[in-house]
Amino acid sequence: MANLERAPRKSFNDLIYDLIFKNYVWQSIFRTGYPNTPRNQMLAVATNVFLHLHPTRIHRTHVKITHTYCLGGLSFFMFLGLTVTGVLLMFYYVPSIERAYQDIQVLESNVRFGQLLRNMHRWMAHAMIILVLLHMMRVFYTGAYKPPREFNWVVGVVLFILTLLLSFTGYLLPWDQLAFWAITVGTTMVGSAPVLGDESKFLLLGGFSVGPNALIRFYTLHVIGLPLVISIFMAVHFWRVRRDGGLARPL
Amino acid sequence: MVSRAAAAIRTRPRREREAEVLVWPDLVFIEFISALIFSIALMVLSAMVNAPLLNRADPDTTPNPSKAPWYFLNLQELLLHMEPAWAGVIVPTIALVLLAAIPYWDRDQEGQGIWFGTKFAGRLTVFGFTAATMVTSLLIIWDGSLHVVWTENIIRGLGLNSDFTWPGGLDWFRNLRGFDTGIPWESLGFTIGGFTMFDDWRAIPLGIPGTTTDPWLLNLNFPSFLSQQLIPVATMVGLPVLFVLFCKMLGWIHTRRDIALLIFSAFIGVYLTTTIVGTAFRGQGQDLKPPWDIVVLEE
Ligand code: HEM
Repeated sequence: MANLERAPRKSFNDLIYDLIFKNYVWQSIFRTGYPNTPRNQMLAVATNVFLHLHPTRIHRTHVKITHTYCLGGLSFFMFLGLTVTGVLLMFYYVPSIERAYQDIQVLESNVRFGQLLRNMHRWMAHAMIILVLLHMMRVFYTGAYKPPREFNWVVGVVLFILTLLLSFTGYLLPWDQLAFWAITVGTTMVGSAPVLGDESKFLLLGGFSVGPNALIRFYTLHVIGLPLVISIFMAVHFWRVRRDGGLARPL
Repeated sequence: MVSRAAAAIRTRPRREREAEVLVWPDLVFIEFISALIFSIALMVLSAMVNAPLLNRADPDTTPNPSKAPWYFLNLQELLLHMEPAWAGVIVPTIALVLLAAIPYWDRDQEGQGIWFGTKFAGRLTVFGFTAATMVTSLLIIWDGSLHVVWTENIIRGLGLNSDFTWPGGLDWFRNLRGFDTGIPWESLGFTIGGFTMFDDWRAIPLGIPGTTTDPWLLNLNFPSFLSQQLIPVATMVGLPVLFVLFCKMLGWIHTRRDIALLIFSAFIGVYLTTTIVGTAFRGQGQDLKPPWDIVVLEE
């Protein structure tokens, strides 16, 4: 006997939805449908390498803005933004004392959005330092450093130092008066260490004063050395947040 | 068998499935919005304010004042008040080590995961921060000899004595260096049983010859050691101790967490104050100046 009831006709919206989310290509990229059911929502997080930094569920108190103020996440977001703008800056910049300053001038005047690019990189770097400090304060004042999170706090302190070093090494690169003398002052402080002071200063500058060797050292540390190291520490940091049982909660 | 300490460390809050929410959408949404807000804010800022670019670097032209990047100006500020080795290296190293050591010292799991967490946490935080900010500012004012200028101006201004100057007898209280230059060290030697002790405070023989080449260790310049090392270090160690004792007296301190709250808040206060003073209140020759009077000269 024939079934007299016809399947309900698909609405226009459903058609569009199926077109986008139920086609072969989409499903080859994202294994799940659009995350609009609890199952798909959990799968969306668990099967995506980026979202997978998160657990699939978290305690209600931790999504309250006032618990973290998103400060750790925003620090990381600044790092990502700095990486993107930094790579773009590298297209235009050559770390030699003959070219560095001129390259920045050309970037500012002749490159479309060049000034904006430089500004973004600069202000994000400042923002990152402030955000990391604020993040540290939020972790401290919520008592989230306590066991079992001691080690992640230490990793955090290392991240703070690396953030400062990244910013400091970048400071020299425009090779203007501000850069030159700030690094001169900064490295003189290093030189005053009671042990190995002069040696560390020499190692950092590749000489006795800020010059071409210092520029290439700072550049290399800034664009590859320190970013690699901080990425490793961030990976450990995020991993430990998960391993230590998510964010701290009262017993 | 697991020791009690180890067992305590493993304690974890019970998982409350019923109080959990899904990361997608609850958390991902918040992250997305906060990232968006920051992107827009930074875009707007970058469209409005340009990153500084001065003249090309010139090793022969020194700007006065020369300053490190702002996030190191707290250290550069310390540099004005003590031996460079302390300010530039030893103090920051110790500070970072102590910072990293907090969780190994304050191990009680009580009060984790909530803001502040102890009964007097709010007061300790406010007190630590405010008191440290005020004490640091006063110390900076004193070492900048502003109290000398102000006293002179007030006494002259009130017409009490129109050419009043800071009394020579109080030269030692002009600033930190006063302990070095304002005290007649030359006349402070004394004789015991025919031996002259300390006839030269500026070169007290200390070192065992041959064991060190460091002249500092061979001959101690006591007045300089006093003003550039002993007093600054004693201040940095002593004030936190006094803070803790004071709050204990008030009955605000019951656990290590309380001490940590107090000292950390005081640390933040000092960190901020020195950064702000170093950034906005130091003019030529690193003299204290209001921000609107600061001009950078190239020399
Ligand atoms: C580049 C710098 C840093 C990045 C990108 C970063 C990122 C994060 C993120 C995304 C979280 C998750 C919770 C949140 O957002 O608050 C977190 C948690 C945490 N961070 Fe950081 N962090 C950094 C620096 C630091 C510093 C300087 C410290 C401390 C000295 C620290 C200590 C911790 C601890 C202990 C947790 C666990 C908090 C809890 O359980 O509630 N981190 N971090």
